[in-house]
Amino acid sequence: MMIKKLLFCIVLILGVTPLLAQSKTVTGTVTSASDGGPLPGVNVLVQGTTNGTQTDFDGNYSIEAEEGNVLIFSYIGTASQSIKVGSANTIDVTLQEDASQLDEVVVTALGIKKTRKSLTYAAQDINSDELNKVKQTNPVNSLSGKVSGVAISRSASGVGGSVKVTLRGNNSFGNNQPLYVVDGVPLSNPTARQPNSTFGDIGGGNQDGGDALSLINPDDVESLTVLKGASASALYGNAGLNGVILITTKKGKAGSFKVNVSSNVTVDDAAYFLEFNDTAQKNIDDFLNSGVTNINSISLSGGTENAQTYFSYSNSFASGISPENKLKQHTLNFRETAQFFDGKVTANASVLMSSQNITNRATSGLYYNPLVGVYGFESATEQLSDYSNFEEFDSNRRIQSQRWFRGTSDIEQNPYWITYRNPSENDSRKLVASLNLNFKITDWLSLQTRGTYDQSLLDFERRIYATTEATLAPSSGRYILNKQEIVQLYGDIIANINTNISEDVTLTANVGASTTRSTKDVFNADSGTNGGLQFPNVFSIQNFNASPGASISQNSPTQNPFDKKVNSVFASTTIGFNNKIFVDLTARNDWSSTLPAENNSFFYPSAGVTAVLNELFSLGDKVSFAKVRASYAEVGNDFGFDLLDPNREILFGGGLSSQDPIRPFPGTIPIPETQRSFEIGTEWKFFENRLGFDIGYYRTSTINQYFPFPTSSAIIGASSAGLNSGDIVNSGIESTLFAIPVRNDNFKWTTTFNFAANKNEIVSIYNGIEAEGLIEPSFFVITAKGANTFGSYLVEGGSFGDIYAQVVRRDANGLPIVEDDAILQDEDDLVDGLKKVGNANPDFTLGWNNSFEFGSFSVDFLIDGKFGGETVSLTEAIVEGFSNNSARETANEAVNVVDLAGNVSTLTAQEYYGAAGGRNGFTGEYVYSATNVRLAELALGYRFNLGEDSFFSSIRASLVGSNLLFFYKDAPHDPNIALSTGNALQGVDVLALPSTRSTGLNIKITF
Amino acid sequence: MINISKTGILLSLILGLVASSCSKGLEDFNQNERGITDEQLLPDFQNIGAFYKPIFENIYKYKEPWEYQLQQNLNADIFSGYMTSPRPFIAGANNTTYNLVGGWNDYIWTVPYGNVMNNVKSIEELTITESPALYAVSLILKVEAMHRVADVFGPIVYSNFGDLSNAGVYDSQEEAYTAFFNDLDTAVENLMADIDNKQFTPFDLSYGGDYKKWVVFANSLRLRLAMRISKVDPAKAKIEGEKALAQPLGVMQSNADGFFVNGTLDHPLATIDNSWGDIRMNASMESILIGYNDGRANAYFDASEATGDIKGARSGVPLLPGYDDELAQKADYIQYSKINDNIHTPKVQLMTTAEVYFLRAEAALRGWAGSGDAQANYEQGIVSSFSQHGVGGSAAYIADNTSTPQDYIDTFNPSNNIAAVSDITIAWDNAASNEEKLERIITQKWIAMFPEGQEAWSEYRRTGYPKIFPVVSNQSAGAIDTDIQIRRIPFVDSELSTNAAGVTGAISKLGGPDHGGTRLWWDVGGPNF
Repeated sequence: MMIKKLLFCIVLILGVTPLLAQSKTVTGTVTSASDGGPLPGVNVLVQGTTNGTQTDFDGNYSIEAEEGNVLIFSYIGTASQSIKVGSANTIDVTLQEDASQLDEVVVTALGIKKTRKSLTYAAQDINSDELNKVKQTNPVNSLSGKVSGVAISRSASGVGGSVKVTLRGNNSFGNNQPLYVVDGVPLSNPTARQPNSTFGDIGGGNQDGGDALSLINPDDVESLTVLKGASASALYGNAGLNGVILITTKKGKAGSFKVNVSSNVTVDDAAYFLEFNDTAQKNIDDFLNSGVTNINSISLSGGTENAQTYFSYSNSFASGISPENKLKQHTLNFRETAQFFDGKVTANASVLMSSQNITNRATSGLYYNPLVGVYGFESATEQLSDYSNFEEFDSNRRIQSQRWFRGTSDIEQNPYWITYRNPSENDSRKLVASLNLNFKITDWLSLQTRGTYDQSLLDFERRIYATTEATLAPSSGRYILNKQEIVQLYGDIIANINTNISEDVTLTANVGASTTRSTKDVFNADSGTNGGLQFPNVFSIQNFNASPGASISQNSPTQNPFDKKVNSVFASTTIGFNNKIFVDLTARNDWSSTLPAENNSFFYPSAGVTAVLNELFSLGDKVSFAKVRASYAEVGNDFGFDLLDPNREILFGGGLSSQDPIRPFPGTIPIPETQRSFEIGTEWKFFENRLGFDIGYYRTSTINQYFPFPTSSAIIGASSAGLNSGDIVNSGIESTLFAIPVRNDNFKWTTTFNFAANKNEIVSIYNGIEAEGLIEPSFFVITAKGANTFGSYLVEGGSFGDIYAQVVRRDANGLPIVEDDAILQDEDDLVDGLKKVGNANPDFTLGWNNSFEFGSFSVDFLIDGKFGGETVSLTEAIVEGFSNNSARETANEAVNVVDLAGNVSTLTAQEYYGAAGGRNGFTGEYVYSATNVRLAELALGYRFNLGEDSFFSSIRASLVGSNLLFFYKDAPHDPNIALSTGNALQGVDVLALPSTRSTGLNIKITF
Repeated sequence: MINISKTGILLSLILGLVASSCSKGLEDFNQNERGITDEQLLPDFQNIGAFYKPIFENIYKYKEPWEYQLQQNLNADIFSGYMTSPRPFIAGANNTTYNLVGGWNDYIWTVPYGNVMNNVKSIEELTITESPALYAVSLILKVEAMHRVADVFGPIVYSNFGDLSNAGVYDSQEEAYTAFFNDLDTAVENLMADIDNKQFTPFDLSYGGDYKKWVVFANSLRLRLAMRISKVDPAKAKIEGEKALAQPLGVMQSNADGFFVNGTLDHPLATIDNSWGDIRMNASMESILIGYNDGRANAYFDASEATGDIKGARSGVPLLPGYDDELAQKADYIQYSKINDNIHTPKVQLMTTAEVYFLRAEAALRGWAGSGDAQANYEQGIVSSFSQHGVGGSAAYIADNTSTPQDYIDTFNPSNNIAAVSDITIAWDNAASNEEKLERIITQKWIAMFPEGQEAWSEYRRTGYPKIFPVVSNQSAGAIDTDIQIRRIPFVDSELSTNAAGVTGAISKLGGPDHGGTRLWWDVGGPNF
């Protein structure tokens, strides 16, 4: 099957046979009118023939032509030129930039550059300046509101946190994050862990394990391109299923030596949280700090014609708003590009190294979370700060023991004790080394091969001192150490073909093969809640009590280790007709080690077409650019490691694990998943590109996902079994509108709207697969309700991100029904004992980005809006369940309730919310609209006027602010914060660190 | 043209080669090498033996303690009148106040199916023909684990477990009990045929591989189950009970015969009681033990930090007026009596010899052959229990014909005060009615079985004894009668969502609405004789 498709591509190439003319050799150099530099890769064609070539790296070309022929020189972003061949054998050409084509080059799959007009799918890019206007430690955070259809949720973990990105909705019960590609090579973006329980992880707290993106120096990024659909990413295979974000990094440039220095300081303040009474708020303010983030970077670039170098170093130092939360980060990037053999061979080598250390990364949930005690502190006589002296000497044990205003409970300890005596530390290191060789074999054929070694080391430890609450640690204390090594080896070889089939038909094609091996090894040691330490407060593995209460493991399945290999062959071609109509075809076949041997190969194609209307038809002067596009793509997908026939786990000192691992449902053989997507769109620009819009529609259907289906444990013993099933459909509209309403010598205003609406529909979760004993399940769990009466489930007819809660039973007048002063539950339409109350995802998003330039001053602001969707404040429920610190409980107004007989009475707010709240109360009472509109970014910039002979070539300073204010917000917390960057815990806040408002100063110097 | 063709052919050749090698060797990657394969389990018969430990340690779940808390501690241990939670979880709207919490009660079901039945099935496949004696032990453990589940819900999946052609079909409780007796028949027969084999020794967490003791336990378990159906099916009960008593190796007689699991982990109650402070003595326990001046009171419980005496708390308590929240209320009641550390050593008690004497005492009342004298068994039961806990004074205790359960006083909230609900005394009275004799027997059996609340709650429901205090607050919306008390737990959420048809069938076999007020098959109510 695969071979046939490949041959088809080959035949396409071979079927086209350029005619060679008898004539003389014309040579010359093509240069750019703007900077006089040579232009490599310029197409040179003898008009009326298929005889063509391209300029080499130095802009030189050589072509056979007859006197009287016309040579056509064309290059992306410039106006084409036609020159008649005369008697001279040398023709040098200078190409002028064409405003209508300027900046229209888009980096696409595999690092291939294409003209925007030839794209058959939606792609949106954003350059370094825009990205770094208001710098974030994680550069991807800056995309929110600036690119349509990109849903960004920042992690609640504070400084150095990871980011959740969703393009065109959630498709998968597994991974919905896009693929990140750096300079054409997939980046391994592992996270050590993500929270999935509202209650919290007793093994270390609900922790964000970070991501690789936060380890990239934002100043190294030249541009980010978002390829939203599967069409764009068919060539990356299953990893690109959820879209691709291409990161192009900076390279050295020939002939110029440049130094960039930038420094950024911002102050972060907790800004958006629940309304507390004044006393409680003062205690909270006492506990939280102002955070400070300082990012400094320096880069040097330069080079000769044959070798260019780019070097950068950056460091970040940040302190978070919670005490002792500190980040230290260093990144080093070195990149060398060299040309050999007259530019026939180009070699590009780069090394990226980065290290990050974060102490006391903020946790959500109830365990190890200081905010439980901070929000719940309630005393008539004392302040929270009275307990900043968090320990006292216990002479019986000769040990410092915890003190708190009341007995500690499973979830509540002295917050200062948690800070100083349950401290955590995350150490992350990343190394990416890559080599890229490009051989230019002929004018129209080049061969490229790349290899990358990508290693992430992610370490975590928590030291839990004696007298910590007994639910979390025995009396001697507890030590947890987790070390993960994730390595990705990637290699590919690609033949690039770029030729003219005839004067009217151009062909670019890529044929290649790649292999990826990725491994994750995890070492975990935990002395446990029962095991304990031999000597209190000595934190080492040798100090563990030798007990089955401790756990020491290598690659325990609970840590999701993997060892996976995927081999692929692929081909793509773009055929252009008169530079007006382009047809795109791709084909790929993957072989994955995680699939059953009999089903481990899967093929998938894509096809697209685009027509440049303003070149096909006469649309008048006012239309500068117009095109329509349509494409269809299929992407296959494998699934996780060791799901086919997993073995029982051995427990440290505990024999075999008592439960069976999740296996395929008996009698079924898993097959690869499939995603089918279709999109159409149109793009128009008017008035010399001063006004334009792009609008597109897409529909994506993901079928045969390999789910761990909930099954009755009374049938096979396990509570779930793997099964291919389901059909999840996302459809939506994305649109970008931009305008330059004013542009003159003194003033320029650029404004952009980004709009996106996505509708998710779970068409089915069960495909009617027949297997003996298989009982149709009614839902699939995304967030288990655990003990917290908040859950998220995939239910047929529902949507991804549906939120379920325990809802109060109400009478016809909407009054809560109580019995014996206890609130009764609404038991209609229950799923897993809970009722649907909303969805975590917005109905639509709207970003409005503005840039004003007047002389040396500039003002930029971004308004980011999310409309629709719901969010649950378990924070409020917990605060009201365990204290009277919320403003409405302090006010204590009466709440009307009714008994089963219909008698209306009242409860005080403290009684009512005290009963409705708590960690497993009536979460339905704490549902809020997630709609919010905020001033996301504001930057006031000034560019210093430097004399011609100044040592500096530019100095720019800006005052920046982010997350400055909400124009509208219903929820008590910032709904743009996610507890997890995985699928779980969306649309809920469980004592997450409050969202911050940041203000600061940014200086950038170039010399 | 030639060049292009050549290059094209070369390219296609290279890619063809790449493609054909793409699928090779991939299957070798997909296994976690740190797990254990079936082959690696073969040495030392671990492929069979390794599956017993999880069975032993999950009948009464050792790890994690919170799973035990949901499996039994927040239901049967409290409904039996043994214990109570000082904390009014969910603002007092929880199991204890009959506002049954689906998310908790799922564990009563999923723990045994996911941790016991699966492993029994694994053993069965390898032993049913090859090693009948090893198979027999797994059957006894299976009956011990699953009768407890049937006694909570009624109908359960038992004979159809693992059978994909009848997937998820529940047995009625009567069918399940019949299957239990049949499985015990097979087990005893297989063990008797190979009684001196010591192959099980390395895997035995209870009897050191002594099959004789396993037969004694099987007989005792049969007697327990026979007695359970004595009201609903007296004929069958008598046959099974007499079969147990007549079996040559007999039933438990010395305390060393008792069925305990010597687990390698801490007793889950130790964590729930000591570390979390989530469980305390029940007021009914205080009323009876202290009313009787029972020497076991100090063996079972510690003195209250609030009163200095052994002090229990009422169960089914809502969030009381005067407390801001659960924790404030807990801060008071956590001071009442903890369970003594001797009760929750790593040894988990599932059947005591004392229980068997009390079963024989009742069997004597019912005229079952081989049971012996009712009074002698009753008094030996008390002696056994005192001796098991190292408590002296059993002779005086047995002779005490005046002490009765006492009134209960709540020192924090007098609204919870309640008068004693029984005036039954300790000393045997041959002249008393069978009903009174039974109250005496079951009251003493109840004391002796502590802390195994599951069996105590089952026997309370079958006999109505001992008389224990009702819940303070009943939030069942009329489903459960306060005085009759809770009879069962509804079928669990996970079954409703993954085996709806099975549950529908189960409800019809239950013979009543699927709530906590419906009586189980063996729970017929009315007088005991």
